[in-house]
Amino acid sequence: MNVQATAETYESYVEQIQGPAKIDIKKLDFFYGKNKALHGLTTGFAEKKITALIGPSGCGKSTLLRTMNRIYGLYPGQRAEGEIMFDGRNILGPNEDLAALRARIGMVFQKPTPFPMSIYDNVAYGVRLYERLGRQDMDARVEESLRRAALWDEVKDKLHTSGLGLSGGQQQRLCVARGVAVRPEVLLLDEPASALDPISTAKLEETLIELKQDHTIVIVTHNLGQAARISDYTGFMYLGRLIEFTTTEQLFTNPRGKRTQDYVTGRFG
Amino acid sequence: MTLTLDQSEPGQTTRTPKAKPRGGALDPFFEALCAASATMLLAALCGVLISRTIGGWPAFHKFGLKFFTVSSWNPVTEVYGAAGPIVGTLITSFLALLISLPVAFGVAVFLVEFCPSFLRRTIGTAVELLAGIPSIVYGMWGLFVLAPWFALHVQLPLLLAAKPGSLLEKLTTGIPNGANILTASIILAIMILPFMAAVLRDLLMTIPSQVRESAYGLGGNTVEVILSVSLPYIKRSAVGAIMLGLGRALGETMAVTFIIGNSHAFPKNLFDSGSTIASTIANEFNEATTEMHTSSLIALGLVLFMITFAVLAIARALLGRPKVA
Repeated sequence: MNVQATAETYESYVEQIQGPAKIDIKKLDFFYGKNKALHGLTTGFAEKKITALIGPSGCGKSTLLRTMNRIYGLYPGQRAEGEIMFDGRNILGPNEDLAALRARIGMVFQKPTPFPMSIYDNVAYGVRLYERLGRQDMDARVEESLRRAALWDEVKDKLHTSGLGLSGGQQQRLCVARGVAVRPEVLLLDEPASALDPISTAKLEETLIELKQDHTIVIVTHNLGQAARISDYTGFMYLGRLIEFTTTEQLFTNPRGKRTQDYVTGRFG
Repeated sequence: MTLTLDQSEPGQTTRTPKAKPRGGALDPFFEALCAASATMLLAALCGVLISRTIGGWPAFHKFGLKFFTVSSWNPVTEVYGAAGPIVGTLITSFLALLISLPVAFGVAVFLVEFCPSFLRRTIGTAVELLAGIPSIVYGMWGLFVLAPWFALHVQLPLLLAAKPGSLLEKLTTGIPNGANILTASIILAIMILPFMAAVLRDLLMTIPSQVRESAYGLGGNTVEVILSVSLPYIKRSAVGAIMLGLGRALGETMAVTFIIGNSHAFPKNLFDSGSTIASTIANEFNEATTEMHTSSLIALGLVLFMITFAVLAIARALLGRPKVA
């Protein structure tokens, strides 16, 4: 582990991850029009681990997440510079097949976003885009996905009713099920529990820990307890910079940066 | 009234009675004024309905159901059957809808999904301006520009190409002057296009960005996202918007009167002259001398009123319910 103190005014303590990185980011800058939102970010996300991104609002956590499946490209004026290596290829390149990329790097949003269709079809939607499954196979995939999102028992008798009829927590787990149904290698979660009650949150956290076996997970959260509970690595961001990045244990028990210390102890945020 | 007010605001009790909210005495008056306005609207609606029914009664009484089924409209023999105008109204409106819906949809999707931001405003404004052009202008353009062009470049070549007795001949017979059901429908389509495009665009913009992002985030491309997520999301409201467009097309008068050819006969094909309810009334009301003629025109108006009312009622019902199925 080598600690680098970089940048002129911002001390930065970014550690290398152990083991292979699924996504490797080098000198990433991000712009909303003329506003620079990310400043030369360099870090890696470990394969089949959970990495949490924490930091005060507006620090660029969500922005960083949104670069990794290039969803920002839906909006004119937003652009990223630098390198995001995914399985050895820079996904910021001009010839990237975005649909295929997003099938491999899934995303779950802050608010539940069920599609206006049945629970079954919500889960099957993404699968149908890329795979031709027979009825039985599809049934099996839907069940498996719903089970992994800890939702199966609650919805198994009403799979063909509208997904919009579920409670907020159920809807969010439906979105997780929808996300894992396409078997993405990476799952990006943008404050997935912020609209959920404690019980739903606990269920979602269990789900994420289970999903770690097969997926690389990056989660943005404002809930420090959540980051501490479920993640293996944690990155602390501030003003568009990655201030500290290390194992979760290290970051919460023995943070190196003054700012990180203040943030995780609740003195500023 | 005052009692309830005092009870509901305990904070007021410490004040002297004089300090009652100012204008409180005016409240009942204001309420009555508003109620009167609302009642007046309802009364006007009922009044139209009743006076139309009374005015049209002689025609309904004399012709009965034949008023709707016979297509002879003859002021000389005093026989009035409105099948021609009624069918003309329905055909031109639905045809207009058929033509303008795909285009309106294309405009809306382009504006929301693909349009570069600097063009979005320009095109959006153009669409809204188009909606503001008076219908008589469309009518004149139709008569002086579209009709001659259509006659020369579509109707005539088709007529010449058609062999006697062939299907093509049956479909294209008619005086090649460009004033027919099809050109009227095209004009109507252009007229309702901006309205429908604007409403569809607004509907598409109501889709939360996170829903769209989720759909893209699962690996959908634009077509898949629009067809399987965006459209279902606005389905019900979109049907309402389309019905509103249809309502406008049904009642449109001037532009259609200019270009439909004004024949009361039952239209034989799309290239045949025809008439709509509105164009018939506009053309003849001034010249109607006999009671039966006037009465028939009023009855015709009632029919249009009913059709439009039904369409708008359905639209309202669909628009009013929650957006999603």
